[in-house]
Amino acid sequence: MAEFVQLLFNGLVEGSIFGIAALGISLVYSVLHLVNFAAGDFLTLGAFAAFFFVTSLHMPFIVAVVLSMILGVVVSLILEFLLWQKLRKSGAGMLALFLVATGVAFILRQTISLVFGSNSRKFDLDQLTTYEFLGAQIAKTQLIVLCCASVAITAIALYIKKSTTGKNMRAYADNSSLAAVSGINVDRVILATWSISGAFGALAGVFQGTVQGQFTNGMGLDLLLSILAAVVLGTIGDAYGALIGGFVLGVVMELSTWDALFGGIPSTYKPVVAFAVLVIVLLFKPEGIFGVKARKI
Amino acid sequence: MTAIMQPGFWVFILTMAGIYGIFSLGLQVQYGVGGILNFGHVGMMALSSYTMAILVISHGINFWIAAASGVAVAALGGAFLGLTTLRLRGDYFSIVSIAFSEIVRYVIYNSDNLTGGVQGSLAIPVIGDNYPSYTDTWDSLVNHIRDFLQPRLGDYVDRDFVMGVLVWITLAILLLLVSRIEKTSWARVLRATREDDDVPAALGKNVFRFRLQAVIIGSIIGGIAGIYWGLESTLLSPDDFLTLVTFYGWMILILGGATKVKGLPIAAIFFGFLYGGTRFFTFWPFSIIDSSQRAYIRIMIIGFALIVLMMRRPQGIFGKRQEMVLE
Repeated sequence: MAEFVQLLFNGLVEGSIFGIAALGISLVYSVLHLVNFAAGDFLTLGAFAAFFFVTSLHMPFIVAVVLSMILGVVVSLILEFLLWQKLRKSGAGMLALFLVATGVAFILRQTISLVFGSNSRKFDLDQLTTYEFLGAQIAKTQLIVLCCASVAITAIALYIKKSTTGKNMRAYADNSSLAAVSGINVDRVILATWSISGAFGALAGVFQGTVQGQFTNGMGLDLLLSILAAVVLGTIGDAYGALIGGFVLGVVMELSTWDALFGGIPSTYKPVVAFAVLVIVLLFKPEGIFGVKARKI
Repeated sequence: MTAIMQPGFWVFILTMAGIYGIFSLGLQVQYGVGGILNFGHVGMMALSSYTMAILVISHGINFWIAAASGVAVAALGGAFLGLTTLRLRGDYFSIVSIAFSEIVRYVIYNSDNLTGGVQGSLAIPVIGDNYPSYTDTWDSLVNHIRDFLQPRLGDYVDRDFVMGVLVWITLAILLLLVSRIEKTSWARVLRATREDDDVPAALGKNVFRFRLQAVIIGSIIGGIAGIYWGLESTLLSPDDFLTLVTFYGWMILILGGATKVKGLPIAAIFFGFLYGGTRFFTFWPFSIIDSSQRAYIRIMIIGFALIVLMMRRPQGIFGKRQEMVLE
């Protein structure tokens, strides 16, 4: 029982991080029809930027996190103006978008590697304090991450649902030409989408770095697989689905190591579980857990 | 700068270019004809080379049978990938394929008792008191060819030279085969599915089956590249099969003009020089960083090249722009 609670809690923490990162990818996809392969490296960027602000510039952790989120937004917007806008105007196909995103990922990752090297880093936080809950050991850092992530998720879900920009975003995703004709400020929608994706990518990176304890320049790339699985699980392009997909995947991945489940699988195989879940969902419910089958005309 | 002067280095570059060319040809069948975006192609290379190495080292199976089995496993990998995701929209296939190759690498990385794990093929369990090598049969073939050619052509014919020649002969044969395939009615149907599923379906063509066949053929070619990769590097490591390698293949494909096979070998050589040439970036401003950091620069340059290529010349150096949009 204690082990179950422990794994469930770990899964929720990990799932909240997946969810936040997956939301950015799904939102960008729904509005811009672009699978952002560089999203994983935005996580790395966020974690290393926060590390730099805390360690080298001696800023308080909270300020560092906010600044790293802003950096995520700035980088996303620069890329929008330099690349994505032009590609949209030239009517570039799926392949061009994929390959440019990959190129961005390479440049981002190598720049981080060049600046910070390949050594692992850790935030100067209290990693040792734990609380006992139903026999499970819950780290203070995990608890903080879960609380902050829940706040962030609620805020973004409300923003998409209630705010004008959020509504416009959904309208634009649904039917871009209709939205443009009815006077929606398309540029603002796109900038808002990139801002959310950049800020939340960086935030997810800081969270992951905090929970993991140590992180390296490959952190985001290692997570990308699970995040993409969460995106597909929650129906690609569905922001709420991505959040729930993230939680489901986080919990499933953790619980798969549970001893009571036929001894559980070795924890190094967790990403394989993410992939297995992905394949099973695609085979039996290809529209995602929450997706609706497109009607055939 | 001495390495530039050595012919051995150029032979190495050309051999690698040939192997990447074969690898890229697999993508060409999938994308150039079928419009399928496979970003997990390197997984097929990993499957074939590791299958070959394990069968030879751990089970003492004849090299040629092991190599054929390796290619067969790559084909099965392609079939698995296709059966699960090809019915879905194209972007799903791309995402799942990239996940597939990462999972293959991940499993290789963590299955110490089967694949040698992090230590690579040197740690694959051996039978008897053999040395964990899978190249013996191949080496003796290469040495025979060398002994035959050397008196006739000159002293520069060494093992690496013969290897390069065999790689390029294989590439030439495969290029010929693929360009034949691309003139068949099978390829015409497949090309039609690139633009629209409904028309070929209305004509009674099973679109899914055509696409699946394209993925399997591409995976077989990728598997052949994997065998050569294993033979050229003589030992395998999970890090040889990073997703990065798939994008090397894509870069060659785009450079050469994705819809025609003609440009592919030239693009492969071009890529080989770009890839190998970055190690001579010893002049300023690159001289201020050490050699391990220069490896980062190399990948950055590949990233820049991909972006510039897609922004400026998506049809490649030899392709026509219209063909990228509409065949």
